Amino acid sequence: MPSSNSAVSTHGLGISYGDAVALHPLTLDVQKGEVFGFLGHNGAGKTTTIRLLTTLLEPTTGSARVAGHDIISDPLKVRAAIGYLPENVRLYDRFTTRENLMFFARLSGLEKPADAVHETLDFLNITELADRRVGTFSKGMRQRVGLAQAILHRPDVLFLDEPTSGLDPMGVRQLREIIDRLNAAGMTIFMNTHLLSEVARSCTSIGVLAQGRLVFRDTMQVVAARYDEHSLEELYVGVAAGHSEVAA
Amino acid sequence: MPNILPSIRGSVMTIALRDAREQLRDRFLFWATLALVVASTASLVTGAIALHSDAATYAAARDQLLALGKDAAAIAAPEFYPLKLMRGMIEQVEIMGAVIALVAGYRAAAAERGRQTLALILTRPLPHWAYRLAKIIGGMGLAAVSLGIVIIATAILLPVVSGIGLGTDDALRLALTWAAGVFYLTVLFTLGFGLSLWARSPASGLIAAFALWILVVLVAPQIGDTMDPDNQVAGGVFAQLSVPKAEQDRIKAGFAGYETFRNGIEVASVTKHFERFTFAILGIKDTYTGAPVDKVLAEKRGDLLFLFLFSLGLGGLVLLRPINPDRLTKES
Repeated sequence: MPSSNSAVSTHGLGISYGDAVALHPLTLDVQKGEVFGFLGHNGAGKTTTIRLLTTLLEPTTGSARVAGHDIISDPLKVRAAIGYLPENVRLYDRFTTRENLMFFARLSGLEKPADAVHETLDFLNITELADRRVGTFSKGMRQRVGLAQAILHRPDVLFLDEPTSGLDPMGVRQLREIIDRLNAAGMTIFMNTHLLSEVARSCTSIGVLAQGRLVFRDTMQVVAARYDEHSLEELYVGVAAGHSEVAA
Repeated sequence: MPNILPSIRGSVMTIALRDAREQLRDRFLFWATLALVVASTASLVTGAIALHSDAATYAAARDQLLALGKDAAAIAAPEFYPLKLMRGMIEQVEIMGAVIALVAGYRAAAAERGRQTLALILTRPLPHWAYRLAKIIGGMGLAAVSLGIVIIATAILLPVVSGIGLGTDDALRLALTWAAGVFYLTVLFTLGFGLSLWARSPASGLIAAFALWILVVLVAPQIGDTMDPDNQVAGGVFAQLSVPKAEQDRIKAGFAGYETFRNGIEVASVTKHFERFTFAILGIKDTYTGAPVDKVLAEKRGDLLFLFLFSLGLGGLVLLRPINPDRLTKES
């Protein structure tokens, strides 16, 4: 049962396309203030889960609440309470960072969009990029602007889909620092990732999805205590392949 | 998070205005409009040259008759209605304008999918149909501006090449032509946008839009046109055979079913309605040359209504059909 402290709670949430099951009924609870790492192979159903939780997709079974709102009956309230950064976002490359952010700030219904843009640029230390066209940016710079559009309206829950994909080590490090700061500010973060090192460093809890099923779910504290003889990589490979006895 | 959800109208305007700003920077619209202006101007000049040639031939013939001491009334003076010279412009809008509108619609969808901004917009607190409405309004605005420039440029050039200034009645006819053209181009923009948004890849959507356009807009009316026996002989078969009007009507009554079928094929094309209306209002079609605006409107309002309802219907279809979340990127 979802508690009043739940940021994301799903109950039997699933989706099928005809006979093909993209996500088996998923029951999951992510508490407010957590940094949740969602692990899984390509095609495991991680992006589908995020698309369901961000109301891009409608489930065929089950239900879910995000930031206290039902994803089916209250999609607009869910959207107002979340931020989303998809993988490989490019934004409007003929527009400057500021113009891009102003556009998304207005769409988020912010009363003072210019102030929100200024504060967000300042928070992410990218004020120097404000008046440059996004089309001229490197992948890392673009990712930071992408993150800026996702946090402009100070969402309760931030969904990140493979946020470190294609970033160099410096970019990965900067992103990790930003995630830590956002979390310290009280934001719940739901992150799909392949990078186990990122999970170990940033996440407070993890879940592993394999072939559309949640096969593992626990806090990083418990993981570290129970599996200290294994590397996190061995644990991941084990649960994803169904070879380990784990608590799901 | 904000306490108040943004207004749908505000979000629609935000998206439509952003599209307009991007089009101005992209320069696609600039070059497309310029190409349309050049093509329309070339048609206008060609028409004017032909008209001047007719006038010169008439003047020479009249002078010859007068020199022979005969009455110049024996030969008919060439009719001169400057708006008739806009036939070429209308034909350019029908074909070239349609291609530009289809491509603009494709680009409106492909760009959002390619940049992943579609997913960012659809996770904002606005209903998904509002996004599609905004894109169609944006496309309609671009069609209005682009066609407005083409018509204004042609209208400025018209008195120069014809030597006759345009009056308020002509301005009204041009305004009605513009309105019909905006609906026509919006239909094609919406077709290109909708199919590129729904298709597995936007390029497949564009190909499908072109195929549909060629079939409905070019092939079908051509078949309908060819099936009209009156079109098979220059000047009309009845006129050539000198068949009296009463006899014509009697013969036609015997082919009423065939004629309904033939006309049905022809009028299935949105282009045909655009052409019928504009050719009538500008007096390009001889039957309507010099006819008052209200009379033409009374007779041709069905074509204008068809354009309006067709764009409304197609727009409604795009609003009703949801976006496939698996097709938020360029390659799905």
